[in-house]
Amino acid sequence: MTMFHFFNCAILTFGPHAVYYSATPLSEYDTLGTSVKAAVVYLGTALVKLVCLATFLQVSENDGFDPYQELLKALIGFIDVAGLYFALTQLTHRNISQNHKFQAVGLGWAFADSVLHRLAPLWVGARGLEFTWDYILQGLEANANLVLSISLAALASLIWLRKNKPKTLIPIIYACAGIVATMPSITSYLRRGLGWYFPKVVGFELFTSLVMAFISWQLFSACQRPSA
Amino acid sequence: MAFSKNSGAGHRGLQESMYSVISLVFILVACVELCDAAAAIDVYRLIEYDISGSAFGSRFAALNHHAASLHFPSGADLSRTVLIIPLRELNITFVRVFNSGNGGNKQVHEKEKLKNLLAELERLLIHANLPYPVYFAFENDEIDTVLTDIKKNDAIGQPATATTGGYKLVIPTPEPKKVASPTIANIQGWLSGLKADGDTNQLPTIAIVASYDTFGAAPALSVGSDSNGSGIVALLEIARLFSLLYSNPKTRGKYNLLFGLTSGGPYNYNGTQKWLRSFDQRLRESIDYAICLNSIGSWDNELWIHVSKPPENAYIKQIFEGFSNVAEELDIKVGLKHKKINISNPRVAWEHEQFSRLRVTAATLSEIPVAPELLESTGGLFDSRQFVNETVITRGVKLVAESLARHIYGHQGKNVQIFADGGSLAVNPAYVQSWLDLLSRTPRVAPFLSKNDPFVMALKKELADHTDEVNLQHDILEGMFTFYDSTSAILNIYQVASVTFDLLSLLALGSYLIVLFCFLVITTRGLDDLISLFRRPPSRKVKTA
Repeated sequence: MTMFHFFNCAILTFGPHAVYYSATPLSEYDTLGTSVKAAVVYLGTALVKLVCLATFLQVSENDGFDPYQELLKALIGFIDVAGLYFALTQLTHRNISQNHKFQAVGLGWAFADSVLHRLAPLWVGARGLEFTWDYILQGLEANANLVLSISLAALASLIWLRKNKPKTLIPIIYACAGIVATMPSITSYLRRGLGWYFPKVVGFELFTSLVMAFISWQLFSACQRPSA
Repeated sequence: MAFSKNSGAGHRGLQESMYSVISLVFILVACVELCDAAAAIDVYRLIEYDISGSAFGSRFAALNHHAASLHFPSGADLSRTVLIIPLRELNITFVRVFNSGNGGNKQVHEKEKLKNLLAELERLLIHANLPYPVYFAFENDEIDTVLTDIKKNDAIGQPATATTGGYKLVIPTPEPKKVASPTIANIQGWLSGLKADGDTNQLPTIAIVASYDTFGAAPALSVGSDSNGSGIVALLEIARLFSLLYSNPKTRGKYNLLFGLTSGGPYNYNGTQKWLRSFDQRLRESIDYAICLNSIGSWDNELWIHVSKPPENAYIKQIFEGFSNVAEELDIKVGLKHKKINISNPRVAWEHEQFSRLRVTAATLSEIPVAPELLESTGGLFDSRQFVNETVITRGVKLVAESLARHIYGHQGKNVQIFADGGSLAVNPAYVQSWLDLLSRTPRVAPFLSKNDPFVMALKKELADHTDEVNLQHDILEGMFTFYDSTSAILNIYQVASVTFDLLSLLALGSYLIVLFCFLVITTRGLDDLISLFRRPPSRKVKTA
């Protein structure tokens, strides 16, 4: 609905990323390069996922929930995790502390995700005369996605970058990482299988993202403490 | 970036592919930008025309305003709104009062028996000068939901404007332009009679004529099933029957038959005049008489024969007696009406008057008892298929065909049934019905028919099937009428949010981002850092002692 609405939805979708970068110490340590590299890795991962989806998935006529197809989609979703692993470990970063590394990678990851998935619909749809709530909900989803990406990056860095972890916490870390990694499948199940409406799904995403962020924050600080 | 590292040839190839990708994206973006409305509905515009410079009808076409219903709060400013009025709620006095400059007006037409209301509305609209666009649309689910929503909003007392949201109706058409040189096409078919060998005299001719074009409030909806679809169908069926008779030399009559489908009927039968003027003088003199058919589709028991020569005239008497005799057998009442022609008055109310002005005996057979006014009974909005009865047309065809046949074959007064039911020459009701259905789906306002309009070609072909020789005469519709195009459009209905909504959401988002910023700074860098952002850095003018 006109450029005004487009501008509003754009700052809702992309504003938090910029705010996150400038508010946290990331801007002081100039970690932009890391974020950009993470975004490029996300692009590559997305291409690989597309190719796999096109090869292995069958298009169903009805919009129902097919468990096997969703399982396949979830498996392909783990390519995401592989990409994240690649970005965290294989890319050479300047000397930035691990604390900031996962934040930068998560930020770049989420930003690329928002741009790829939400910019085009926003540009095409939000500028017309017709008003729908969809684009605002999409922006809220982008916010939830940012939080989720950073939590996933935190858990991933815990798994792969930190060598000395308290033994008791390891299964919890893996469990949380698994949950966050399969979030897309869970939301699509809610939307298709249970028939939830979009606002409800977005609310669920926001809630779980906050919960997972809190849990991973606790885990991360627990691993920070030098183990006895 | 990375591209600049490529070598020359590869660089250019990459650039070209880039350009094609970019142009493709633009095309995609442009295509997808269309059709994002809540509803897109076909609408038909009120006609716009001039008579000798005086403007009539709706003078504008484009529309871009908020919508309101009839229940608007009194005193509301309607100068930039579109009124959506369902026909069943229309009050004629309201329309009369309303003729005073407003933003837009759209009326919803319903397929119910509101014939009189529609006729009166049409008469009002055609003769009014409305400086705003008026559109007609058929009622469907989409419009219904939109209308109930609008009524709810209006009931609360919140008419839709730019600041309160609601529905916006947009019709993006350019300004209507004059139709340059509107053409009229007259179609004539000629069935030759039996000429005895060695006979050099011209055989007498009988002409059967009907005008095929219409005029109405919404030219894209003017199908004129009765006026004059019934006449066209009757003419075609009579042509078919006589072509059967004339195909065999033993039953060919000693009269030529001339069938004429004329255009320009509503405009004082301009086309008929041009057609007759184009005749050879000898041909015109050879016409014994002409029968014009006008609206014979919805009568009960009574038909009228309208003449301009006085009833005492021998020819008129002969024609009328012929018709009356057949009518008695068919249980139809036929009356004779005489209307004198005034040469100085340009108004031509019946088609036979054009013949009479050129001294050819003619009469019009019609169900209309009184001569219609200009632009009246010309096939308007209310003249649709459901008001015409094909059995009645069949009876009319039988009446005309029998009368003609008795005159041609010299069986006047004798009780002979040439086109008896059940025989091979019976009137074919299926033929009548199928042509009537087709005519009721084809709007036929002459200025909007192109030169080689497919319908005109179809009529020509049909007449060619039944006659020996067919001619098409094109001419310009001249005289006092000027027409403007843009007769139909697509209405887009958008549900819009108000400007206050946008401002409020901007405010909310701004505060959200600021709160997020402060939260992140506090959690990651500490509260002191946040405060230090706002305090100016202390001047380091520490002068060394």
